[in-house]
This record gives sequence, C-alpha cells and structure tokens, in this order.
Amino acid sequence: MKKIKFQDKIALLLFALIFSPILFLLVKSFYQDTESLKYLFKNLLFDYSINTIYLVIITSFFSLILGIIPAWYVSNHQFPGRRIIDLILYLPLSIPTYIMAFTYSELLSYTGPFKITYDFLQIEILGILLAFSLYPYIYSVSRISFSLFGSKYYDLAKNLGLSGYQTLIKVVLPLSKPAIFSGLFLVIMEVLNEYGAVKYFGVNTYTIGIFRSWNSMNDSGAAIQLSSILLFIVAFLFFLEKYFNQNKRFSFSKNSKLVSLIRPDNSTKFLIYLICLIPIVLAFLIPVLFNLINIFSSFDDINFERLLNLTFNSFTISFISSFLILVVSTFFLYNEKISNSKIYYYINQFISLGYSIPGAVVALAVVLSVTGLDNLNDSIKLLGSFSVYFLILIYAYIIRFMAVGKSPIKSSLEKHPESYDNSAKNLGLTNFKIFQKIYFPINKYAFFTALILVFIDLMKELPITLILRPFNFDTLATQTYEFAIEEMIPLSSVYSSVIILICCILLVFLKIFLDKSDVFRS
Amino acid sequence: MKNYFLLFFSLFLLASCEENNSNEINIYSKRHYQVDIKQYENFEKITGIKVNVIKAGDDELLERLKNEGQNSPADLFVTVDAGKLQKGVEMGLFQKIQNEIIDSNVSDDLKDINGYWIPITYRARLLVYSNERVKKSELSTYEDLANDKWKGRLLVRSSSNAYNQALMSSLYANLGEEEVTDWSAKVVNNFARDPKGNDRDQVKAIAAGQGDIAIVNSYYIGLLLSSEKQSEVDAGNSVSVYFPNQGENGRGTHINISGFALTKNAPNKENAIKLLEYLTGEEAQNTYVNNSYEYPANPKVKPSEIVQSWGDFKRDKLDLNALGTFREKAIKVFDNTGWK
Repeated sequence: MKKIKFQDKIALLLFALIFSPILFLLVKSFYQDTESLKYLFKNLLFDYSINTIYLVIITSFFSLILGIIPAWYVSNHQFPGRRIIDLILYLPLSIPTYIMAFTYSELLSYTGPFKITYDFLQIEILGILLAFSLYPYIYSVSRISFSLFGSKYYDLAKNLGLSGYQTLIKVVLPLSKPAIFSGLFLVIMEVLNEYGAVKYFGVNTYTIGIFRSWNSMNDSGAAIQLSSILLFIVAFLFFLEKYFNQNKRFSFSKNSKLVSLIRPDNSTKFLIYLICLIPIVLAFLIPVLFNLINIFSSFDDINFERLLNLTFNSFTISFISSFLILVVSTFFLYNEKISNSKIYYYINQFISLGYSIPGAVVALAVVLSVTGLDNLNDSIKLLGSFSVYFLILIYAYIIRFMAVGKSPIKSSLEKHPESYDNSAKNLGLTNFKIFQKIYFPINKYAFFTALILVFIDLMKELPITLILRPFNFDTLATQTYEFAIEEMIPLSSVYSSVIILICCILLVFLKIFLDKSDVFRS
Repeated sequence: MKNYFLLFFSLFLLASCEENNSNEINIYSKRHYQVDIKQYENFEKITGIKVNVIKAGDDELLERLKNEGQNSPADLFVTVDAGKLQKGVEMGLFQKIQNEIIDSNVSDDLKDINGYWIPITYRARLLVYSNERVKKSELSTYEDLANDKWKGRLLVRSSSNAYNQALMSSLYANLGEEEVTDWSAKVVNNFARDPKGNDRDQVKAIAAGQGDIAIVNSYYIGLLLSSEKQSEVDAGNSVSVYFPNQGENGRGTHINISGFALTKNAPNKENAIKLLEYLTGEEAQNTYVNNSYEYPANPKVKPSEIVQSWGDFKRDKLDLNALGTFREKAIKVFDNTGWK
C-alpha cells in the first residue's frame, strides 16, 4: 500500500473534524421517527418547495442583473466617477438581509415616508430585497473575471465583428461561467437559509418548514431529516454543475495583454450612470440613510459602553474565525492544485456542504455531537466555560462558512497559469516554498478577499451565535436582532449601523488593496 | 503575521478566563429585554450574586439543555410561553420548585398546577379595532371573528408566530377539534390580506385602512403607543383595545405567561430560588411593569399606566400547560385550514 504522507494525514484529520457534525446529522436522520416528516410531505412541503424555488429564481435573476451589467461597464469603460461607483457597488454586502427587509417594509409601510400600502407580490418584493443584499457576490466575481481576460479574447471578438453586448453575451459570459456560478452558488445558499426576512414577509420556504417542524411541532428529528434532504439536493446540484462544466475550465494565457478601456459617448455614459445608480441608491444609500436617521431619533438612548463592548466581541470572534477559515481552505485548495493525491479533490467537494444547511441546524448538529461529550466538562473545568464555548462557536463557524472562504481562492487558483508550477517544480522548490514564493504573492488579493468576505458574513451571523455563545456574550448582530424582533427598529439601527460601518471600511480597504494589485485595471 | 495572531488569540483567551465563582446563577433565556438586564443588576447589588445569561430561541436552548445533560451549567430556563415550559417538563429537564415566598407572591390562577414553573409576567392576546370603522358593540368573542361580517376586514400575522400558535392551542383546548377547525377556516376566509409582518404592522394596517380589526399582543400595543415616532403613536391612537370573551358566561381573554423553570441538575439551586423570590416580589414586579408593557404576576402590583387605561379584564382560566400539549394539534389546524 502506498504510504500516506504526513501532510495528507493532517488534511484527513482536519476534514474529519470539520465534516463530522454534518455526517453525524446525516446518519442521525436515518434513526428518526418519520411520522411528522410524512405529515409535512403530505401537507406542506410541496408548497414550501415551490415557494423556495420561485424565491431562488427571483433573487438569482435580480442578483445576476444587478451584478453582471454594472460589472461589465465598470470593467471596460472609462467614465468620470468610475472608481467611486465601483467601490460603492460592493458595499450593500455590508447590510444584513434582515436589515434590508425591515428597512424597506418600514419605508413602504403606513408610518413610513411613502405611505405605500401593498399586499401584493410578497415573494417578488422579498426576492428583489434579498438581491439588493446579495448581488455583490455576483458583482465581485464578475469584476475579477471580466478584468482578468486578456486582450486576446476581446481582439478575437472585435475581429469577428461583435458589438459590445454581443461580446459580453457570446464571449465573456460563457468564459466567466465558472466564476459567476461560484458567486451565484453563494447567493442561492443564502436564499435557501434565509429565515428572518422570509418569516417577516410571511413567505413559507423550505427553511421555514425546517423550523416549523422543530419549533412548532416539537420535533427536532424532522428538522434534522429535512435539513439532510436539503443537503442532498444542494450536493446534487453542485455535482451536476461540476459535471457539465468540467471541460470548460481553462487557464488564462499569461502573455495576453490587458485591453484599454472604452471611452463611451455621452448617451452611453448616461446609460452607465443610470445602470450603476440603481443598485447604489436602492441597495445602499436608502438603507444607510434610514439607519442614520433612526440613530439620531434615538441618540439619547444609546449605551456607548455597551456598543463598544459588543463591537469588540463581534470584531474579535469574526476575525479569529475568518482567519482560521482562510488558513484551512487555503490548505485544502492549494494541496489540491499541487499534490498528486486525489484526496484533496474529494475533500474540497464535500467541505462546502456545511453552507447548504441553515445556521441553526449547523448549531444543532454541533450541540448534538459536542455538548454531550463527557470530556467537555473536563475542558470546561480546565479552561472555563467561556473559552470552551468560544472555541465551539468558532468551530461551528468554520463548518458553516468554509464555502465562503473557498470561493474566491478557488476561482483565483483556477486562473493560475500551470507553467509557473512546472518551472517552480523544475527548480526543485518544496510545496511550501512554492506557496510562499509564487502562490501567495500571485493570489494574495484572493486570500484577502476571502478573509474579508468571511469576516463580513460572520459579523452578520445570527443563528449559530445565538445558540452556541458563551454566557453574557453578545455581538452586534445578536443585539440588532433582539431589538428588531421586539419591534424596536430605531434602537436596533444603532447596532446594525456599526456592523454596516465596519464592513464598509473593510470593503473599502479591500478595494484599495485590489486596485493596487493589478487585479482591476483602474 | 501568524505569530501576532497566536499571541492575540491566547491573550484573548486568558483575558476571558473567568474566575471559578460559585456565587452566581446561569440562565438560559428566551427573554431578551432591557428590563431583564436591569433586574439582574439590581439583584446582584442586593445579594452579590452574579447572573450570567445566554439568550437564544427557546427550542434551541431546550435542545442544548437536553444534550448537555448533567454537564449543563444552566440553573434556570426562562421563556415567554407556558407551552415551551411544558415542553421542557415533558423532556424531563426541570425539577419542581417549592417555596412559600414565591408561592405567596404569585396569583393562584397563573401558577403551574404541577409546580414546575414560576410565572413572572403575563400578556393578553387581544383585539384592536378601527375607531372610525368599527363600533365597540360589534365585537364580542374570538369565536365571533368567524362571522361573515368581518369578511375582508380581519388582520393577523402568520401561523409561524408563537403567539398565534398559543392562541390556537387555547382555542383547541376550549372548543375541541371540530369546532376550532371550522372556526379557523372561516377566520382565514375573513382575512383582509395574506398574513405578514409583526403585531405592530397589523395595527399600522388598520390605520392605513387595509383592514378593520386585528388580533395582537397587548405588549406591542404598549410599545406602539410609547414609540418615539409620532406616526406610530398616531397609528396606535387610531385603534382601541378590546378584551374578547368577557361576557358573564365568557371564559375570559387568552393570556400567556413569561416564566422560569429550575433545571434538573441546577448547580446553583439556592441562588436560583433566591432570584425567583426576588423577581416575583413587589420591587422587581414594579420594575417589570414600569419598563415594559407586561402584566405583573404578583396581584399586589398594578400594570403600567398605558396598560391600566385599557381597563381590567377577565383572564381565561385554562391550565396554561394546554398551550404546550395542544400545540401540535393547533399547528395541524393552521395547516388544514390554509392559515399561512
């Protein structure tokens, strides 16, 4: 038998650690009483599934429109304010979906400024609001992808006599499909797991069904089974996409020059501003303004000491966790690229699946597999319950958010020219040296992107934090939520604004960093 | 970079290591109100006992409690629904509480007949009606909401909401399956729109003319009327509060309690009992009513002014454990009658 390398052993161990709660959940789902599952299948699941599919389609559609078209113009056209517009187009990522939903229902309600009362198109409106928060996932991958094309493809398109839009549709989009799909995958996962906003809008999705069986029917077993089914569906879609796209990946040729930006005429400029301002105003300026006005109206009630304390908590746990996620996902992905062993390929296929399960169910899986352990009590005696639950919380974050960290690194590594590796290997460099000397410098923007994206997701994270946190440990997100569900939106705005502010600052940093790194032509 | 990170991480863990302090109480709490923080701080000032809290959903906390078993650090579990307390009792997670002080502090009809949980406050699920379009004399009971006269006029939130589930459980317990199913079908038929939003949104919808009456929780009317936003106060003032089922033979308005239960392996049992004595006592009960719009469990204490202005009412005397035992059946009624 072939000897397994030390490094591969570590990888398998790490994989087992991360994947075991999910596996535990899957196995457990076979040992549950199926009575309430049968009931749900008979009565609700069809409607719930139809609603879910419809919501996914609406959100995906608007996310693609809001993401791809501005990315196309910003990547290829020169116009005044291009850099600032490019920057702001990322920022709605900083606004949690439930804040977006609350903001707009408040604005559109009777006590809002517009006094619009609408009872129609619930799913459609919710889908658009979710797209407001989620389209940056598409925008960011599209921007990177569109910018990385060498002049070869554009020249080819020009020689074939294709117009701008034809180039986009016939050349650029097909070539960007893997990248855009990785963004779309995140959007779809977010929609599948969305709970706060869908509940508020009274749209019954599959996730609502999971919680209905757990919280209302008092049957956590059925919730586990429903989550397992969801996991299988997502895994199936995931592998299906893999299968169809496996021959379509390509390495970017390194000698291809970057093309110069198009200078549009005035009418095109007007069109560009219009297209870019729609997401900027609706998905960013309006919700931010709404939150700021709320802060001023409740300024006297703000407890600044608590605000500072919670900001520290949120920042610390998000930073530690996102850093660990970055390290682990880089370890797996880099080894897949460089190692001859097939195990990394399989590890990477499976490790993203945690993202397909609602956060609360991931937390349930961790509760079921960890909190009952006898040695947990010993560790608590040794380290104190705060530290132990702090670590458990980080552990659960890693299980759930690996996919977010992997996504940008993966698409960056895919574009990595093979020839570099070969030359490096010929020079006799070790894998670690190759990483240090070649992969890290070339892909550092992707690592930084991964770090920031995960960090932002964790700043907004709610269900896992609620269940697994240590005593007296609040974060900005939990406090926002507690005020929001008590229908005290102005007070919750203070805490959500800090989330938005911190995430915006990081996104701005990220953007400046990326601009320097030649990822984008600016 | 990596070294800095490790240093930072270990420093954080060190800083966060608590002292091994037995002079404390650990609470798993579904309640997450500002008034709770105040109560626990006051208690610590008086007794020197520190109160530690984890706040999350009640089902999630019960699951955590169950899996932690004997390892659980939790002493008390608190939630805003007697049904969930009953669920915890059924899961075998709690122990009975026998204490004279607590017993004398709390109204008899709010108590758990099995002695497992202690109520601290309660809320009514009542009706509000448009001052312009509805006369008070048109209203009477929950049952009457099935009447054709309310067609296209009734507002209520979705059946995923725990308060609606508790109301349906109480109606199931009071009326029986056949009658409650018939009632629910007719009520759904009377909806002004598909259920959405929270309780405040139903009141706003009346103000906007989208419907004429709504089923809401008393607590949220209080919040709406005391809002900093004038438009919300105006919306609150455009409706009046009505307690259903008050007639001479009426069974009373549906209520639900906020209550504590003592965990089976509570490591700090004595402290926990002390806290319950304090929270049901007059001082703490006054703090509750002055900082939230809940009704006090202690009959010697009066609710807040806004709440008092709605007048006294007769409470449904149903054993509140029924809100848990009938929950699953209630959900099926919602599903079978298309209450989204």
